Amino acid sequence: MSPLATLGGELAGLWAAYVARFKVAIGVQFQYRASLVIWLVWTVMESVVYLVVWSTVAQSSGGQVGGYDAAGFAAYFLVTMVVNQLTFTWIMHEFEYRVRQGQLSPLLLKPLHPIHGDIAENVTYKALTSVVLVPALVLLCWAFRPALQPQPWMAAAFLPAVLLAFLLRFLSGWTLALAGFWTTRVLAINQLYYMAMLFLSGQMVPLSLLPGPVQALAAVLPFRWMVAFPVELLLGQLTPEETLAGFGAQLAWIAVHAAAAAVVWRAGLRRYSAVGA
Amino acid sequence: MIATAPGAAAGEGPVPLAAAAATPAPPPGAPAIRVDDLRKVYTVHERQAGMLASMRSLVRRRVKEVPAVDGIGFRVEPGEIVGFLGPNGAGKTTTLKMLSGLLYPTAGEVEVLGHVPWRRRREYLRQITLVMGNRNQLVWDIPAADSFELNRAIYRIPVADFRETLDELVELLDLSALLQKPVRQLSLGERMKCEVAAALLHRPRVLFLDEPTIGLDVTMQRRIRHFIGEYNRRHGATVLLTSHYMADVEALCRRVVVIHHGRLLFDGALTELVQRFSPHKTIVVELDEGAAGVDLSSYGEVVAVEEGRVTLRVPKAATAQVTGRLLAGVPVADLTVADPPIEEVIEQVFSGGTAGAAAGGAG
Amino acid sequence: MSVPPQLRLFGVFLKVGILNELEYRVNFYVQLLQSAVGLVIGLAGLGVVFSHTDTLGGWSPNELLALLGIYFLVQGAVQLVIEPSMQRFMEDVRQGTLDFTLTKPEDSQLLVSVGQVQIWKLVNVLLGLAVLGVALSRLQTAVGPGEALAFGVALLAGGVIVYSFYFFLATTAFWFVRVENVLVIFQSMYQAGRWPVGIYPWWLRSALTFIVPVAFATTVPAEAIAGRLSPGTLLLALAVAAAMLAGSRWFWGVGVRRYSGASA
Repeated sequence: MSPLATLGGELAGLWAAYVARFKVAIGVQFQYRASLVIWLVWTVMESVVYLVVWSTVAQSSGGQVGGYDAAGFAAYFLVTMVVNQLTFTWIMHEFEYRVRQGQLSPLLLKPLHPIHGDIAENVTYKALTSVVLVPALVLLCWAFRPALQPQPWMAAAFLPAVLLAFLLRFLSGWTLALAGFWTTRVLAINQLYYMAMLFLSGQMVPLSLLPGPVQALAAVLPFRWMVAFPVELLLGQLTPEETLAGFGAQLAWIAVHAAAAAVVWRAGLRRYSAVGA
Repeated sequence: MIATAPGAAAGEGPVPLAAAAATPAPPPGAPAIRVDDLRKVYTVHERQAGMLASMRSLVRRRVKEVPAVDGIGFRVEPGEIVGFLGPNGAGKTTTLKMLSGLLYPTAGEVEVLGHVPWRRRREYLRQITLVMGNRNQLVWDIPAADSFELNRAIYRIPVADFRETLDELVELLDLSALLQKPVRQLSLGERMKCEVAAALLHRPRVLFLDEPTIGLDVTMQRRIRHFIGEYNRRHGATVLLTSHYMADVEALCRRVVVIHHGRLLFDGALTELVQRFSPHKTIVVELDEGAAGVDLSSYGEVVAVEEGRVTLRVPKAATAQVTGRLLAGVPVADLTVADPPIEEVIEQVFSGGTAGAAAGGAG
Repeated sequence: MSVPPQLRLFGVFLKVGILNELEYRVNFYVQLLQSAVGLVIGLAGLGVVFSHTDTLGGWSPNELLALLGIYFLVQGAVQLVIEPSMQRFMEDVRQGTLDFTLTKPEDSQLLVSVGQVQIWKLVNVLLGLAVLGVALSRLQTAVGPGEALAFGVALLAGGVIVYSFYFFLATTAFWFVRVENVLVIFQSMYQAGRWPVGIYPWWLRSALTFIVPVAFATTVPAEAIAGRLSPGTLLLALAVAAAMLAGSRWFWGVGVRRYSGASA
């Protein structure tokens, strides 16, 4: 077999595994339709709280804060909600469960890297949650009247920006989830990570409203590339040059995280194989 | 010091991506499983009772080394079913985990089908399976059939082969009514049948079965047991099996490997185990009518008395002598000499511990 | 004077929880770190908001600091015992191990409610008290005995309401397969309680008061401290607390009967 044919076969096999995983994930999630609604409440609340707080701030300061009026904040936080939905992962919960229930060993005995199953499951979940998010989004737009008029190129660039943001956030979450190889309580780390995300990714407040030093910190950490960048892009706050630079930053961070994931995975396996399940 | 196998042509070199075709062929006549001087030492935190000690351990912890597997070695030939026996904590599961590649050993060599298991090469993983009776791998919320499909994709089983294997498994295990139900609705026994099927879809050549019948009722145990034997006959698969149920072992394994405290106590035929470790024989005496009340306790330990049938336990060495005395001194209608039940022997082995090993070594 | 058995039971579970958790010392440090980060983010959130304005919906910075303290306090109490116990209970229903609880000679609702303790969450309780203390010391107007009493009563009522609500949600595990996520509803709505519910649009304010009773747990006690709590609101809180406690108890009975019927 030529190397190319081998690679082709490899990819075809991988694709088949993904398709099978999609089907299983849909089957599982279909059993828990109710949890979709619950998830929706969580997502919507998170955005609405900050939306309302900042709109109130804008109103009590003469209608505007840092260039945002109430409609501007509405646009910011609703787009943030969408980006957050598309990039969110719960892999740390999943990993903690696996370690606790001894479900890791069967995965390791399969001739396929577990990350593929995790990605497939995540993508399925996003597709399903979109079904409930879109109607909610319409209602929220009606309630809060966001001001959003992106130019066509922004809308076009938004898609790859979100895709890269998802990859980056998935890889970082997955790498941190591997802490499960060392400690049985990954959730504490998860909460820590969540809080850092909240503040430094732009979920809680537009980064431009943060004090200077925090903005500087956010600039050198990967979090803003997971949420704030696509949001600012769609809101028309970035020039084409800044957008290109942003893509570059996303790709660089993805490379760093992919390398970290590979290293930690190998170390984790060594550790797991040394101490057992 | 995890040395590579000497016959390392057995495919230890860098394996290219998707080298499924290049499955290393072990040299002819090579064992399917080869274990040499295998050791595994766990480091555990010492737990102390009491609030104060616990508080102290917040700051500093004492650790201690516990050898779980302490230098064992054995071979399993292709197509053999070997019972792997030992009390809880003897190191059985640890050994199975090392053989299936989940654990690195502390020292020693293992080769299964020419592979070093803990390298976890894909072509190795495609040829083995590990079933743990108390763990499940089927997706809980969906029908088993869907989990099977997932395995088909992961193991890259061609559709035709998959159909054939599945049909065979469905027939042998009587699964047809179960496959479309969500796994959580299945009974423990039904779930175990599906687990076993899922573990065999890729036609593994080596099966590591850790308590596959644990917790099942007797009928279901028999069913699984029968299935394992049938699978082995049909496909020539090598099976290493642990079980607490001696019925499993007696039905399936001509050969057993016994470990205790991480050390090998015995490796050989099941019948030999009984001979070597049981210091007793059982003599069943049927008395003539009219002699039913005779007291035989002077001949040996009376285990049971029922309607003219007396069961005696006597030291092995004294068997011939006691038999002679019985025939001479008591009105005997019939007399049989037998080995004691296997459970009793195993119990004997484990309570005897290393003393038994010494005896075994001498024998 | 003897300790009531309920309290003694809680004490035993607390001790077990402590002993159990001491085995996971990493968690202690992680929790310390996590609480610290939570505090920093809470304070920073207030800081950022008040760097752009002087009052938020009529609340001064120090009043909102008091609200933040109450928020941490209630959250800590929930995470200390209610949340882990409810999660454990749901898992027990799923795995069928609830039978062990139901066969114990003690009130099953009580057993389930204190069955699991996450001891390190005590850090959040203490943190809440500390923040509340700082806020009180910085408030311009002194808090009189009337306000203190109103605060105590309001906080107690809020606690009972939150517990009953949580317990009510958890009890639905008898009917639904996977309801762990239901608890997330409370957590997600609860984050709205960090801010006074008055700033939210009417539909959300109603939801936070009567559907997911976050307002009673945080805003109402904080209003008592700020001296803005009307007697009517306090009475309403007490009435809601009593009604929900009775309701959760009734619902639990229905659920247990169903569970016994289904598994028999």
